[in-house]
Amino acid sequence: MSIKSYDVAIIGAGITGAMTAFQIAKYSVKVAVLEAGIDVASGSTRANSAIVHAGYDAKEGTLKALLNVKGCEMMPEITSQLGVHYKKCGSLVIGFNARDLEHLKKLMERGKTNGVKGLRILNKTELHKMEPNVSKDAKYALYAPSAGIVCPYDLAYAVSENSATNGTDFYFEYKVDNIEYDGKHYTLYAGDKKVKAKYVINAAGLYVDEIAKMIDDDLPFEIIPRRGEYMLLDKSEIKTAKHTIFVTPNEKGKGILVSPTVDGNIIVGPNANIVDSKADTGVTEEGLDEISKGARVIVPSINLGAVITTFAGVRPTPTSGDFYIKESEKCKGFIHVAGIESPGLASAPAVSEYVLDILKKAGLTMRKKRNYIPTRTKDGNCKLFYEMNERERRQAIKKDSRYAIMVCRCEMVTEGDVVNAINRPISAHTVDMVKRRTRAGMGRCQGAHCRTKVAEIIAKELNIDISEVKKFSQNSKLLLGKTK
Amino acid sequence: MKRKLVIIGSGPSGLVCAMSAAKNGIAPKDILVLERENELGGTLNQCIHTGFMKNLTGTELATNLIKTVKKAGIECLTEACVLSFNKDKVLTVISPKSGYIKIQAEAIVIATGCREQSRGVLSIGGTRPVGVLSAGAAQRYINIKGYMPGHKTVVIGSTEIAFIVARRIAIEGGTVVFACEPKSATLADKKYLKECIKPFNIPFKLNHNVTKIYGKERIEAVEVCQLDKKGKPIKKTKQKIECDSLVYSCGYTPDVDIAIEAGISIKRDTKGPRTKRNYETTIPGVFVTGNAHYIHKTIEKILSEAIAVGTNVAKSLKPTQPKMPSDKKAKKEKTDENNAHINSENKE
Repeated sequence: MSIKSYDVAIIGAGITGAMTAFQIAKYSVKVAVLEAGIDVASGSTRANSAIVHAGYDAKEGTLKALLNVKGCEMMPEITSQLGVHYKKCGSLVIGFNARDLEHLKKLMERGKTNGVKGLRILNKTELHKMEPNVSKDAKYALYAPSAGIVCPYDLAYAVSENSATNGTDFYFEYKVDNIEYDGKHYTLYAGDKKVKAKYVINAAGLYVDEIAKMIDDDLPFEIIPRRGEYMLLDKSEIKTAKHTIFVTPNEKGKGILVSPTVDGNIIVGPNANIVDSKADTGVTEEGLDEISKGARVIVPSINLGAVITTFAGVRPTPTSGDFYIKESEKCKGFIHVAGIESPGLASAPAVSEYVLDILKKAGLTMRKKRNYIPTRTKDGNCKLFYEMNERERRQAIKKDSRYAIMVCRCEMVTEGDVVNAINRPISAHTVDMVKRRTRAGMGRCQGAHCRTKVAEIIAKELNIDISEVKKFSQNSKLLLGKTK
Repeated sequence: MKRKLVIIGSGPSGLVCAMSAAKNGIAPKDILVLERENELGGTLNQCIHTGFMKNLTGTELATNLIKTVKKAGIECLTEACVLSFNKDKVLTVISPKSGYIKIQAEAIVIATGCREQSRGVLSIGGTRPVGVLSAGAAQRYINIKGYMPGHKTVVIGSTEIAFIVARRIAIEGGTVVFACEPKSATLADKKYLKECIKPFNIPFKLNHNVTKIYGKERIEAVEVCQLDKKGKPIKKTKQKIECDSLVYSCGYTPDVDIAIEAGISIKRDTKGPRTKRNYETTIPGVFVTGNAHYIHKTIEKILSEAIAVGTNVAKSLKPTQPKMPSDKKAKKEKTDENNAHINSENKE
């Protein structure tokens, strides 16, 4: 069997890898994305605060500072091109005393040096006018109007789908376990599967160090898995906060935040605990207690009885503290994109451009594609039923009556939406893939009502038995055999 | 399309309300029942256990109600989902048969029932594998689809449905390895312990909760703890129980998103619409009945309320009715009249 050969192979379909694939897809370059998980955004991208940070946190002069501010500025254009929900809601860092105020002033200065626009310090009256529910003890706040919110996996799907529409090949459950280099081509193995590429981009998130080792390269720092736990509140609580609200940071990091999500929920979290395993996305009782307390410091009246789900994500924290984006000194054309922890989501657009520059310098010729498709699919950005206006809904139903069958009432997802997700360029063939693409099962009943229906539609579309339908991975079939 | 009365939901409350409205003077052809699923009957369809009015099963009761409604000539549309309605009582409905339609009603009854609370309220630690599902979902899989969600199941909660599902799993050849309720008393009547738990030797404990979930892909085990008086886990009582599924039931809440979206005021305690004595919500001409109103204890109470709501709706639609004087005497007569109607209905 002939081995598929590419110009560029990207390892990892997290936001960094996916965004890079999106940027390269504008050029006549043959690209493969190799993802260990079953779907795009299977690692750190799936579970984080979903914040587009403004860029006042990162130390002046670091790569993180540069790319964060730039990435944040690029976000509105990319999200509008691909029909991704994005909201420039602004962020507030609140302070309770004079010491906090000093710190906020420092942050503001840092932000200005980094190039963040519109930063200013609010007094108590201004703060409470903007956020009526914030703690009465909060006296000051650093306001960053350029900060925003976006759904990280929605963005990752959008850029991946666009990339796939423009000819990029996506390989899932492709866990690279060995890499060979013959001085010209890299061969990337995953078990008995292999592909070849002239250039490799190591965007493996938590696993960048392990990939680097496969070419006998050692990153000059370690990747520490740090877990953050979260709670998501029902949409009924949306008035809790209008901006992303942090407390004044300490040595442990940016701390716990309370923020609206772009889909209209309230997110609370994260804490930051070093864990033994990079795959440890479990939540703990202590952790949930910790973030509950942290949330009450910001909004004392927050209704934690309205939690609809809890989750945790693991971030790849580099001991060096900065992003590391460099061509390997040992192996030409092998580019590490490492240590992309927060603000990795905000930075992703700028990170990917930075990677493209390195690729060009490394010798890859990049000519703009003539027939580039700017949308997610050939037919546009595939609006979901809940996003459509009345006219669009009428049309959608006329074209396909399955848009008139309600699957998930909590989030207004129709059978048409589900079928569309299953038949997109990157097919959603598990219940969770459908859920993250359509929001079916993400509402207040958390799928109690619609999970069976989604499973039935998947079974029908893929022509398999319902007992074969998986929730997310090979061994996560929903049902265990027939009744007596 | 125009209709005098549109009822949203064809569960027991919707169907009985439709019948009651017809009996009280609204022509059957002026009534429309909208059902979002592909069959009428609502949750009754997955209740194959007895205990519904004179010991019928849920499905039998549904069949009877559907027959009566159809015989009366009341039109019922299935796969018709109400997206919204406004204060002018214009409903936006989607259905694969009729497409995207608007219906002008003179009165609307919300009979959308309830839904289960999500597991978020439990805030259990650990992973999020497959095999963790609500009792309602488990019941649907077993009774409607004929599939087992697991063979070794742990059940949390002491609602009726928690007990009934535990029994179903046992009957279908699965094992309920542990069942518990975090509170110090069962939510459902104690008779359910006798009927569903004891005969199947299911270990059931009060003041216990699942505190952690293990398993990466499918659930492999749970950690169970006894709780102290404040509801905090007593650490030394921790035990690990192997299982392949976890069924939870955290109670119900009225399924009234549509009412909230229309701007109807919701009561904090019941989570259902605020109503006047005649079951009218804060939007004139929009009524509510059944578990959408508040969570009822028994099916009998749901049905008698639905009858009363139907009567009141019919009354409100009568063409030129002089306004009732609002003194106490008149009000009392009104309620007595309602009750008399319920009683006669029950005797039939």
